[in-house]
Amino acid sequence: MRPTTTRRSAQREGVGPARRATEATPLRDEPRRSKPSGPRTRRARILTGVAGLAAAALVLTGCAVQVRSQPDPTIGADTMLINADHGNPQFDRNFNPYLANARTASKWMYEPLILTNPLDGEQTPWLASAVDQPDPKTIDFTIRKDVTWSDGEPFTADDVKFTFDLAKKFPPLDIKGIWQHIDSLEVEKGTGSGADAADHLIVHLKTDDVPAVGILGGVYIVSEHQWSKVKDPTTWRNPNPIGTGPFTLGNYSPLQYSMDKNENYWQADKIEIEHLILPATNSQLDTVARGYDWAYSYISDVSGTWGAASKSNQWWFPAAGVIGLTPNLTKAPFNDVDVRRGISLALDRDKIADSATEGNLTAAGQTGLILPNQEKWLNPDIPDGGLIKQDVDAALASFAKAGYTQKDGKLVDQSGKQLSFSILTANGYSDWLRAVQEAQRNLTAIGIDVKITAPQPAGYQQAIDNGKFDMAMGGMGNGDVYQAYNSLLSSDFYQPVGKSAQNNRERFKDPAVDKLLVELKSTIDEADQKPIVDQLQQVVYDHLPIIGMYYGGSWGLFSDAKFTGWPTEKDPYMIPQNYDSAPLGIFVRLKRVDK
Amino acid sequence: MKYILQKLGLFVLTLWAAVTLNFILPRLMPGTPADAAIAKLSQNGPVTEATRKAIEAQLGIPKGNIFEQYVSYLHQVVTLDFGTSYTFYPQSVSQLVSGALPYTIILVGVVTILAFVIGTLIGVAAAWKRGTWMDALPTLSGSFMSTFPYFWTALLLLFFLGYVLHVFPTTGAYSATTTPAFTGAFAVDALYHAILPAITILVTSLGGWILGMRNAMINTLGDDYVTFAEANGLKSRTVAIRYAARNAILPNLTGFGLALGGVVGGSVLVEQVFGYPGIGYLLFNAVIGQDYPLMQALFLMITVSVLVANFLVDILYGVLDPRTRK
Repeated sequence: MRPTTTRRSAQREGVGPARRATEATPLRDEPRRSKPSGPRTRRARILTGVAGLAAAALVLTGCAVQVRSQPDPTIGADTMLINADHGNPQFDRNFNPYLANARTASKWMYEPLILTNPLDGEQTPWLASAVDQPDPKTIDFTIRKDVTWSDGEPFTADDVKFTFDLAKKFPPLDIKGIWQHIDSLEVEKGTGSGADAADHLIVHLKTDDVPAVGILGGVYIVSEHQWSKVKDPTTWRNPNPIGTGPFTLGNYSPLQYSMDKNENYWQADKIEIEHLILPATNSQLDTVARGYDWAYSYISDVSGTWGAASKSNQWWFPAAGVIGLTPNLTKAPFNDVDVRRGISLALDRDKIADSATEGNLTAAGQTGLILPNQEKWLNPDIPDGGLIKQDVDAALASFAKAGYTQKDGKLVDQSGKQLSFSILTANGYSDWLRAVQEAQRNLTAIGIDVKITAPQPAGYQQAIDNGKFDMAMGGMGNGDVYQAYNSLLSSDFYQPVGKSAQNNRERFKDPAVDKLLVELKSTIDEADQKPIVDQLQQVVYDHLPIIGMYYGGSWGLFSDAKFTGWPTEKDPYMIPQNYDSAPLGIFVRLKRVDK
Repeated sequence: MKYILQKLGLFVLTLWAAVTLNFILPRLMPGTPADAAIAKLSQNGPVTEATRKAIEAQLGIPKGNIFEQYVSYLHQVVTLDFGTSYTFYPQSVSQLVSGALPYTIILVGVVTILAFVIGTLIGVAAAWKRGTWMDALPTLSGSFMSTFPYFWTALLLLFFLGYVLHVFPTTGAYSATTTPAFTGAFAVDALYHAILPAITILVTSLGGWILGMRNAMINTLGDDYVTFAEANGLKSRTVAIRYAARNAILPNLTGFGLALGGVVGGSVLVEQVFGYPGIGYLLFNAVIGQDYPLMQALFLMITVSVLVANFLVDILYGVLDPRTRK
């Protein structure tokens, strides 16, 4: 998994790639054959001067104007205005949750079996009332009773089986890749009453596969009675969605849609929000000015913009991933761990974090864990929670071990050639660029020649996937520890340079580590998982497959004016993002202020 | 007749070259079109070979060698069927273009015509009254305003009139609570939303027309036939319009033809700033999302309309100015 949270934010900073003007302007290059007379040119100069001053004054006053939150008075106290869906600039009526361009709210109507908090991997049974793994090769989902679809039909284990089978029949819908894990499915109908009355879905897995619970549990469950009639669900846009979630579709227009509370929702007593309004907002100015109750956006100078717009505005930016330098391990000198350690020791991570995140997030350790979210996994033998302090002498000593010494301020190898490489980042991701520039300063200071290459995001993606880079900005970390280390270290993802790798882009390969991962994959008990995770942290700490630098954030902006109970640092019950399934866990916790 | 045939031959040749370039250029870009779609999908986890095949089948990734592809592309061009968009999957390209085109044509088209008419008239007046304030004011403010970058004017207007004074809506082509329909109420609403973008384009393009017309006209005013007409005692308005302006308008007319051809390209920056759902915004998204089918269709549309406009201006020129027919 990529640190998508951070990338989303970067894309929303509005620093789009170079914009091309194709406006039809009248031809201006016709020769001006008239001869202006003397006095007129002077008048022109005076006039231009006056106009210039006026323009300057306009710009100056513009800077001094504080944009304040102006909530629409017609929106009631029971209605949440939420900046979660972005039109392009208009909406397409697409509520098929499996399609790439689905409306954000479709993922709040189709619920998962298990709701996972991406911050720490904490799982809450959702449409499954309980989940059990009798052995590492079997998952037993107890299907929640008394859940109905919004059209009144009962929700059953058959719907779940139908959904999984749908992904097999139409591979493009299998966006989580569940059929890489599933061998077969089996529905066990409940008998009698009480606890026995519930249906079960038994999943037989291909191998010992404990992490499959989270992957299968995250699938959006759809109804058999609606979807079985669809001829091609891979292009079907599901204009009138029928889900199990807390809201149903209200009014729809290409610029805004509303959602109404589903009175038959299985947790209806916990939902105090009567309506949601989702406008097709795109600009950050709108985010601040329109009086949103919930927005998700990286805003520069958050306290001076979002914070100053209204007294009830607040924000929480928890760490959601580790951003770091990905060395290309197939290439010299990055295949030498001493070179990687030298680079790592030369970095002033506090400064990098401060510059890249404007002080919102801190330096990250070298364990592959996201702290403090995953504190309970931390290996106590690793000093300082894996945080590496800048130490130029140690860095130079490490480079010396690799055969690089300083000469006339340059770090040179035995033949006298300066150590030189380029760092790849994506154009427009301005937080990444600031981090790279800071790292470049640190490395230049000890005599390395560092260049920055920043192609368009697609070019960056292609280069990093195909291993065509020296060092690249990238990320590691995942709320689920197995996913975190598997995507970072597993040789299953290893591809030779020139072939596209979706994970493990640094191209790490170690049979001993693969064995650890397999072991972790087949261990159910958390206490037994812990020593394995300890060893994996040690691998990341010792071998530096990715040189961690700072935490990428999740950018939750909330208003307390109408609803309270948002996740905070003290109560991090859910990531503050308002896309994917996460909002389901937040909607049930919010209380109305006027009640 | 020979003149028209000559121009027509040239037009067909240029059209073929443009269409062919439009075919070649996207294929020179690194990576196959499927890569873009798969890169997007892979953010959710590893993509299997089966999924890749399914996507290729769905998106209609071109099969066969380059010549077969070229033939089927020409077929697409003729039938105007450009397949499915990648960034807006599963919407079809023709759906997207026909949805965005009316907004652009009405906004940019009307404003371009307005700017041409107003600008040319002001230019005529300025040249006729040259040396007075009626000349200095439009000439100076025109040349000053035409140096404003589009987006800067747009941002300034949007910020002050939209966000600070709340006089105009800040985004979109109509209110969020209305649905597009052929009613008076919707027309009023759409018009209200079009005012700011329209002013932006008008303000920044007016100057060019004024200056172009004024300068050309001042040139013709010095010609003998104008002096002759004046000496004959013709009314000054007749001299200005029928004699001087008619001859001076030729260069501006060329510009107008090209500008009209470019209308379908929309106004990328203005539409972007105002969140206006036109072709410019679509084009921006297509380029950002590496959406080859959409880009191909849009570029083709823009090229063809500029070429057609050029062709028509050529023909018109022949009618207006007999010298070009030789």
